[in-house]
Amino acid sequence: MAVALTMAAMKVAALRHALRGQRAQTAVTGAVLGAVLAGGTLYLAFGDLDLLAAAYAVWLLGWLLGPVFMGGGDETLRPEYFALLGLPARTMAFGLLVAAFVGLAPLISLVALVGLVIAGVRLGVGNALVAVPALVLQLAVFVLLSKVGVALVGLALRSRLGAIATGVVNGAILAGLGQIWVVFWALGQTGIPSVVWYLPSGWGLLAVRGTWWALPALAGLVLVLLAAWAGLLSWRVGATRVSFAGRRRPITAASSSGAVVAKELRAWSRDLVRNYQVTFALAYGVCFAASPLLLSWDGMLPYAGPIFLVMAAAMSANVYGTDGTALWLNLLTPGGSDVRGRQWAWLVVHAPPAVVVTLVCTAVAGGPWPMVLSLLPALLGGAVGLVPLISVYGLVPGTDPHRRANNPLRTSEDDGGLTGQAYAALALVAATAVPAALAAHWFGWAGPVIGVLTGLSCYRGFGALAARRLRTHGVELLQEMRTGRRAAGSRSVRTRFAALPAGRQAVAWVCFGLGAIPLIPQGVLAAVFVSRNMLRHSWFVATYMSPGLRYPVAIAFMVLGATMYAVGTWLVRPTSAKVAG
Amino acid sequence: MTAALEIDGLTKRFGDTLAVDAIDLVVPQGSFYGLVGQNGAGKTTTLSMAVGLLRPDDGHARIFGADVWSAPDDAKALVGVLPDGLAMPERLTGREVLTYLGLLRGLPRDVVTARADELLAVLELDSAPRTLVIEYSTGMRKKIGLATALLHAPRLLVLDEPFEAVDPVSAATIKTILRGFVVGGGSIVLSSHVMALVEQLCDHVAVIDGGRVAAAGPLDEVRGGRSLEDTFVALVGDEDGGVKELSWLSR
Repeated sequence: MAVALTMAAMKVAALRHALRGQRAQTAVTGAVLGAVLAGGTLYLAFGDLDLLAAAYAVWLLGWLLGPVFMGGGDETLRPEYFALLGLPARTMAFGLLVAAFVGLAPLISLVALVGLVIAGVRLGVGNALVAVPALVLQLAVFVLLSKVGVALVGLALRSRLGAIATGVVNGAILAGLGQIWVVFWALGQTGIPSVVWYLPSGWGLLAVRGTWWALPALAGLVLVLLAAWAGLLSWRVGATRVSFAGRRRPITAASSSGAVVAKELRAWSRDLVRNYQVTFALAYGVCFAASPLLLSWDGMLPYAGPIFLVMAAAMSANVYGTDGTALWLNLLTPGGSDVRGRQWAWLVVHAPPAVVVTLVCTAVAGGPWPMVLSLLPALLGGAVGLVPLISVYGLVPGTDPHRRANNPLRTSEDDGGLTGQAYAALALVAATAVPAALAAHWFGWAGPVIGVLTGLSCYRGFGALAARRLRTHGVELLQEMRTGRRAAGSRSVRTRFAALPAGRQAVAWVCFGLGAIPLIPQGVLAAVFVSRNMLRHSWFVATYMSPGLRYPVAIAFMVLGATMYAVGTWLVRPTSAKVAG
Repeated sequence: MTAALEIDGLTKRFGDTLAVDAIDLVVPQGSFYGLVGQNGAGKTTTLSMAVGLLRPDDGHARIFGADVWSAPDDAKALVGVLPDGLAMPERLTGREVLTYLGLLRGLPRDVVTARADELLAVLELDSAPRTLVIEYSTGMRKKIGLATALLHAPRLLVLDEPFEAVDPVSAATIKTILRGFVVGGGSIVLSSHVMALVEQLCDHVAVIDGGRVAAAGPLDEVRGGRSLEDTFVALVGDEDGGVKELSWLSR
């Protein structure tokens, strides 16, 4: 216990130092959002307990998937720090577990889990008493499942096969979550599926409701997970191999831009994190577009390739950040065209799967060819143009590859920044396809021509802008990566974001984070369903309206979503008055 | 004769800390110049500004007369740099790093191949042909870094802690290469904590303390009749001068 308390004290000290300046503001934003979610969960505890069980399932998913998608989770205390102390694996795992309870995310989850006590009080005195140990055990299950999940993914990322398999699984899961309505619809479920009670997230509530085995099962699960984590920790201490030891073909390029392409292609094939990102994006695109097939609707299938491209661009939008301080070589070698080389390598890696997936899926669905062939070139060009541009204008300083801890997913200490950058990349890359999509919608085969034109101009124009930025601000970018801090005097969306007062920052978060919901499912998709006369359709509000109101409601949602993005953008807009100061 | 490197009033401030306070240094052509100082004295910051890796708040740096910030292409073609602890293209093998950088510098393909062969052999990196740089030991990273600094046949070498974590055999090899470079007319600036090494290699030395030059010039002038270490401690040591002992270790 002494070890555990010392580790908890270390964590408190580290958090006290970390929660200053910019990161404190990010933390405040996170706390505000978390408090809203926790409050919503508590509200459910006063109503239908089915809903509460479902809400806890969502919390569990958040704990399980959040760290895997957002930079590897909390790594304030790392097992490597204690490797030389000779602690038994269980003692260390228990200590790290206790320390893992110190922090904002566990605190917020704890508040959400107070719902168990509320539910207990509503049911009776005995139930309320059971709720207290159930609450502690349930929180331990959340934290431990998250830790074990991250450790398993880290382990998988030691081999290429593991990296690819993890990418496929995670891509499929995230796509499945995005399309969860399809699953419900296919299962004929209109209410809450009863399975939410029997997930580990529901055992605490089961115990409170009086199921005798639930509390022992929770305790047993905690012990099993603790043992598993202890085992995984001893695997983790020791060098992690994060590159693939395959064939080493000599570089045969003869020009400077050819050399950059050769270098980048080797990074794409040898860096297991990049392997993971590509397969993740591909699995996401295919699963997202294919899942409505469960409802025998193939209207989304042709867009698997375009979705893959947008997701892949979002995942690689920090190209310069993940390479870290290697930028110094470019600064000392003026004249080399690093940006163009990287663009070509990105195309060589992503274009073939995108083209194949698009052609096959569109052939299966039997069209619409003009639309798909417009989106493909537009998005290919938009992605290769925006990826380097975003990474030099909105750089999130990464940890140098040779200094990373044994958690391959953690490429930067600033996971909030990475998440924001990925969202920005998603929206911006998708926006590059809008002209081609409109042209295809109105004029059919004019679309592909527009797509090729906008794609080419994005590739050339954004690439040239990125190269210019590297020339003029490369030194500042290098300094940023050396120190992990933004050089004084340069302001980007991220610093502007961090400089916002906490309240406005929270509003911007909500706008960017939730704007997609009214815009896409409640707006665009609902309009599609209305147009196909698919009424009273799962959670699409417009499909429940009276005939005259269906389109107006869908359009109102679209306007709401677009307005949310516009407000978010307006909040973080560059203001020349501020910069001048 | 133009100086190989001329540092003129370079200044850098990080927040409230004045890291480098208007440093002036002249590295004559053909000299082997040592920069010594405590941790945090400003050596790395000065060298980074001198080669164009960190923008100074004030001052100039000229390499063979070419201003590093206003005529970077001329200046950077003449200098080879080994920074301390920066990343490399990590997913390449040593040979691939040299091939990539040689081509990036516009060297012809066959020249790149020949020089890479020779550098890898001399620095004894050719025994691990399939190992990626990310898997290199600290000493191997220093050696591949030195190889990249030498690849394009520069006339000035700026080396930040080149001997740190390098084993004695490799260190001897590197010393031979560096001495040969100076004999052939090249100029070298290196920073180090190791006084004996600087005395052994360098003919000029500058002592940096608190972002300023405490003493600079030919080695024998700076150290006088004493060893460099005694001179250094006298220049930058604590006021009380006493070396503290650990109470629980010394009985």
